[in-house]
Amino acid sequence: MHIHTTHRQYTNGLEVVDVKGNTVGDCLNHLVQQFPALEKALFAKKDKLHNTVEIFVNHATAYPNELVKPVNEGDEIHLLVMLAGG
Amino acid sequence: MLTPNERERYDRQIMIQGIGVEGQEKLKRSRVLVAGAGGLGSPIAIYLAAAGVGTIRLIDHDQVTLSNLNRQILHWEEDIGRKKVDSAVIKLTRLNSGMTLEAMAETITEENVSQLIEGCDVIVDAMDNLPTRYVLNRCAVEKRIPFFHGAVNGFEGRAMTILPGKTACLRCMYRGPVPQEKFPVIGVAPAMIGIIQVTEVIKYLVGIGQLLTNRLLIYDGLELTFTELTVHKNPDCEHCGSPRRKE
Repeated sequence: MHIHTTHRQYTNGLEVVDVKGNTVGDCLNHLVQQFPALEKALFAKKDKLHNTVEIFVNHATAYPNELVKPVNEGDEIHLLVMLAGG
Repeated sequence: MLTPNERERYDRQIMIQGIGVEGQEKLKRSRVLVAGAGGLGSPIAIYLAAAGVGTIRLIDHDQVTLSNLNRQILHWEEDIGRKKVDSAVIKLTRLNSGMTLEAMAETITEENVSQLIEGCDVIVDAMDNLPTRYVLNRCAVEKRIPFFHGAVNGFEGRAMTILPGKTACLRCMYRGPVPQEKFPVIGVAPAMIGIIQVTEVIKYLVGIGQLLTNRLLIYDGLELTFTELTVHKNPDCEHCGSPRRKE
């Protein structure tokens, strides 16, 4: 899983973290198990991501219903944050 | 029809295969709306003017402040307190006196957006907030006007080109309201993204190259990487889904 710049403060600076799971949601839970401080940064409440958090699997959007999207061994997940500035 | 002066002025880009005199004339006949005259709007307007786009309509309600000057390169110390569109007109006219500038010191709203974009061939997103971007996106989709999205934060930026009716729109990625916050930014980030947006506009107006449609380009200035991500047209999108729903 590729960690966005703003979230690396919670992953000891790691840009890529290995995660396990059958769905995107499983993988995010495994990520949070490793780095508990990420939970508030990613989730507004249980099973509900913040509206600013975007998930891409193998470089394609996983939206909508991204948490239940199945993933396979070797898949790449990108965690991004929506940008609003100009 | 290009004048002898214009043929000389744009000689180097007329030489580019695919542009030529015909492409340059297309640019001259075009009217481009630049929504915002700040960090993104500055390089966008400058490079549109330099490329010979015939008419630029620039919209921004704001005035220049000292803290704008790290990134909004159309505005200088002498412009502090001046309306951004007035400051922009002074610089852009000095850069290219042969173009037409339509400067509007307006706030873009649901109520006036249709009137503000009337007659424009394309819309360039140079806004500093998401709600106004969605106002522009909806109107672009309704009127079938191509919309060139860009946004920045810190050293990072993103861009995507939207061809209404054909490709994913900005709202296709909408997840719900987000808090509006003061954002950190260094000037080179909007410069990089703004130039990508102008590249797309020029290609579209001339009719060459491959556009950044259904592809979200992510620029990370700290890692100096460009990542391309695929975006799908969302059939349930409030703006471009079918049947289109009102909010």
